[in-house]
Amino acid sequence: MLMPKKVKFRKSQRGRMRGKARRGNTLSSGEFGLQALEPCWLTARQLEAGRITITRFIKRRGKLWLRAFPWKPVTKKPTEVRMGKGKGDPEFWVDVVRPGRIIYELEGVTEEVAREAMRLASHKLPIKTRFISREYRELR
Amino acid sequence: MSLVIKSEKRDIFGKNASRRIRRAGMVPAILYGEGAASVPLILDKKDIIRILKSETGENTIFKIAFDGEEKDVMIKDLQIDQTSDELLHADLIQIAMDKEIRVAIPIELAGEAIGVKTEGGFVDFMTREVEIECFPANIPEHITIDISALHLHQSMKIADIVPPEGVKLISEPNTVIVLIQVPHEEKVEAKPEEEVVAEAPVEAAEPEVIKKERKKEEEEKEEK
Repeated sequence: MLMPKKVKFRKSQRGRMRGKARRGNTLSSGEFGLQALEPCWLTARQLEAGRITITRFIKRRGKLWLRAFPWKPVTKKPTEVRMGKGKGDPEFWVDVVRPGRIIYELEGVTEEVAREAMRLASHKLPIKTRFISREYRELR
Repeated sequence: MSLVIKSEKRDIFGKNASRRIRRAGMVPAILYGEGAASVPLILDKKDIIRILKSETGENTIFKIAFDGEEKDVMIKDLQIDQTSDELLHADLIQIAMDKEIRVAIPIELAGEAIGVKTEGGFVDFMTREVEIECFPANIPEHITIDISALHLHQSMKIADIVPPEGVKLISEPNTVIVLIQVPHEEKVEAKPEEEVVAEAPVEAAEPEVIKKERKKEEEEKEEK
């Protein structure tokens, strides 16, 4: 599962997820992408589940980029433990995803394949997403 | 070239005014360049979208009319809401037709590479734009490169582009534009349940904390 190799602090505060993604909101390498439309804490498991789905669907074609990385530790207290006595231990890792953030990018496959791969991956994520492509963008 | 877009000077600024402008189907914009003072403008959103949809896209040179005068301009930058695809603001740059300018031109690939057709590779399109310098009248719509002769692991670089007449390439010549790559194979191993259980503690392993490392180093130094 994805997690940082080194961290400055073992535990972090929760923070807030206001606003839209200011960075990582455009396609950088691939032709197609999956864009988040809602804020969430995207866990390493969810990200990995989506990645596996895409790589299995595209088989031996194309190239996949993960644009999200679970850098934030989430702590949890053990069950049946009374409140207090300090913060719990790190349990899993998340990335703070805001609307507009590109989560996956694909290159070297047809649009139909990319669309279906992203659709399958989107079912592994806890948020609404949309498929985006470099080719076509209808400005409003 | 002959496209003329009507606009009006903008004397209302800030978030509220800009939102009101957008609600009316217009876009706040700013015009600058050629040493002139910047002029805030209001443009019709449809005009900008029409320019972007044209063959030359963002590199289209058009005339903008305001206060009874016309100026040659092109789009310098656009602010777009990445989730709703709404056009928020446009930066226009005034250009002199007798001065060379630098613009980014899209690269188009032509043909199907041998490496893809027969050798099982795929096209990794790494650089999609090339920066060029030329007179505004000579700006090409795009630069086409033929990749049909490329085998597996072969690439084309900026240096391989033959620019049209009157066009100078500015981008780094060694930048790879396109590479025929071999797809990575995902190793799917069926793991027995016992192994999965055994792997669980690995996931819970914690990364190294940088601060601790430093403390240790400091302690070691002190000991010395």
